[in-house]
Amino acid sequence: MSSQMSTAPARRRMPLHKVGLYGLLGVAALIALFPLLWMVSGSLQSLTELLSNKSFLPADPQWHNYVTAWVQGELGVYLRNSVLYTGSAVIGILLVSSLAGYALARLDFAGKGVFTFVILAVMIIPAPAMFLAQYKLLISLNLTNNPVGYVLILITSGIPMSTLIMRSFFVSQPRALEEAAALDGAGPLRVFWNVILPLARPGLAAVAVIQGLGAWNEYLMALVLFEDNSLMPIQRGLTAFTSAETPQQQILLAATTISIVPVVIFYLMAQRHIVKGIGAGAIK
Amino acid sequence: MTTQHLAIPARRPSRAPRGRRALRRNLIGWLFLAPAVALVGVFTITPFAQAILLSFQSWDGVSPDTPWVGLDNYDFVASDPIFWASMRNVLFFGVVGFVVGNGVALGMALAVNSVTRGKTFFRTVFYLPGVLSVVVVGLLFSFILAPGSGILNRLLGLAGLGALQQNWLGDPAVALPAVAAVFVWFHWGFGFLLFLAGLQDVPKELYEAAELDGANRWSKFRYVTWPQLAPVTSIVSLLTLLAALQIFGTVQVLTNGGPGHHTMVPTLAIYNEAFVNWRYGSAAAMSVVFGGALVLLSVVQLAITRRRSRV
Repeated sequence: MSSQMSTAPARRRMPLHKVGLYGLLGVAALIALFPLLWMVSGSLQSLTELLSNKSFLPADPQWHNYVTAWVQGELGVYLRNSVLYTGSAVIGILLVSSLAGYALARLDFAGKGVFTFVILAVMIIPAPAMFLAQYKLLISLNLTNNPVGYVLILITSGIPMSTLIMRSFFVSQPRALEEAAALDGAGPLRVFWNVILPLARPGLAAVAVIQGLGAWNEYLMALVLFEDNSLMPIQRGLTAFTSAETPQQQILLAATTISIVPVVIFYLMAQRHIVKGIGAGAIK
Repeated sequence: MTTQHLAIPARRPSRAPRGRRALRRNLIGWLFLAPAVALVGVFTITPFAQAILLSFQSWDGVSPDTPWVGLDNYDFVASDPIFWASMRNVLFFGVVGFVVGNGVALGMALAVNSVTRGKTFFRTVFYLPGVLSVVVVGLLFSFILAPGSGILNRLLGLAGLGALQQNWLGDPAVALPAVAAVFVWFHWGFGFLLFLAGLQDVPKELYEAAELDGANRWSKFRYVTWPQLAPVTSIVSLLTLLAALQIFGTVQVLTNGGPGHHTMVPTLAIYNEAFVNWRYGSAAAMSVVFGGALVLLSVVQLAITRRRSRV
């Protein structure tokens, strides 16, 4: 990457193993990026150009592929649904898991050990063991093909890990402020809402980015639950587009590119939180 | 997933709180927990129990009638070649993810940790595939690995490696490793991030002390880095293994289990059994067998980690 800099006369020559190291990292970066670069490039080519594989860069960028993908694929509908489901799921998860995490970290009550154990045990139950029965349950609640049912599933699947992240966040916080507020006669819910939550922003941010990414990319339950295209989130919408319309390859590449724009922008902006959140989620 | 917190804090108040104050305290605690308990109870624990019940019943997915059929579903699953093929395939994914995925993740974490420039750049790029969805990855690689027009075969041809060109997703001998490679490409960044964070937490003094003792690069890795990373390694191993074993969307979009059933995986087999073949009972039996195996794996791993951290 920076081999030019180190050959500058003022510096020592870069030792050979460093050159090798940067070479290795460069190759790995190329492998990580190539499929995405190829996707963007392909999305701007005509079908003949794409299938002939003549050039890596589009000779004459076909911007209208994006218009076609957007209109034909109804991407606006899917993206709006995804924003709605992801947003609701994240807000729900933040509320429920910060309440529960706070109770497990700070409050004293009967059965606390049992609750902690249950939260942990539930994390071990994998999705493949449950999705069928969740589907059956939602049928009996009349919540299939329904945004509410889908969001409730998203919230529930995020609760255990988020509760543990919030719990260890609250454990690491000093007690002084909430004790002062309690002495002033504020009830526990008021203390929680006015004092605890505003101070918990770093923990909440870590939970929000991790669960937000997870909800945006969720596919299995969206596949099982939704029948109406007008209700589908983007991941399910993409496969619906692929199978129903059999769009040409360059159009599908444009649709795929559009679908990742929000998540890539979010990743680049919130990277620090994401890295922290992934660490917290895995280790807690 | 958790390692440390399984030990339930034994912080019983020595003087049992009595009377109305204790009741009030309990009520407040339960109030804070109520939403979490209600949601997890209704949408996780109930379905988990229902899946087990459903595995002894017959259901076509529509009729309100779900007669009990005893062990019929399990008999069916036990002799279902597709399901067992899917178990073998996913074991292959597990091994590849565990060995190759974690190997690449650790190697790259060591590499990034030892350079001074471009750390953030490489970290950003290496985790980028990890924020994509299974659908995007599946679609993308179905084009890249296509036999005629696919860019991978084209590049191999340009590089003079035409002999290596394959029908990546259509040839029974190549499809499984090809899908496993896509999984590694998709997933190694996760382990990489955790390893990198773990490496940055290793105290510098340990390396300085090792250098004073004349340790070379390998012995510094062997006697400082590796033992210091052990907790991270065990959690990354478990999470990578679980992710590989639960692979679904990538495979469904990429090959839908084909050619034949050469890339079939259990979650896809369960899905097909229920939503394609309309046999929810045997699908539930599959999910109990497979889900039970996953739960067992997690419990064993957690127990090992706990015992190790206690010694």
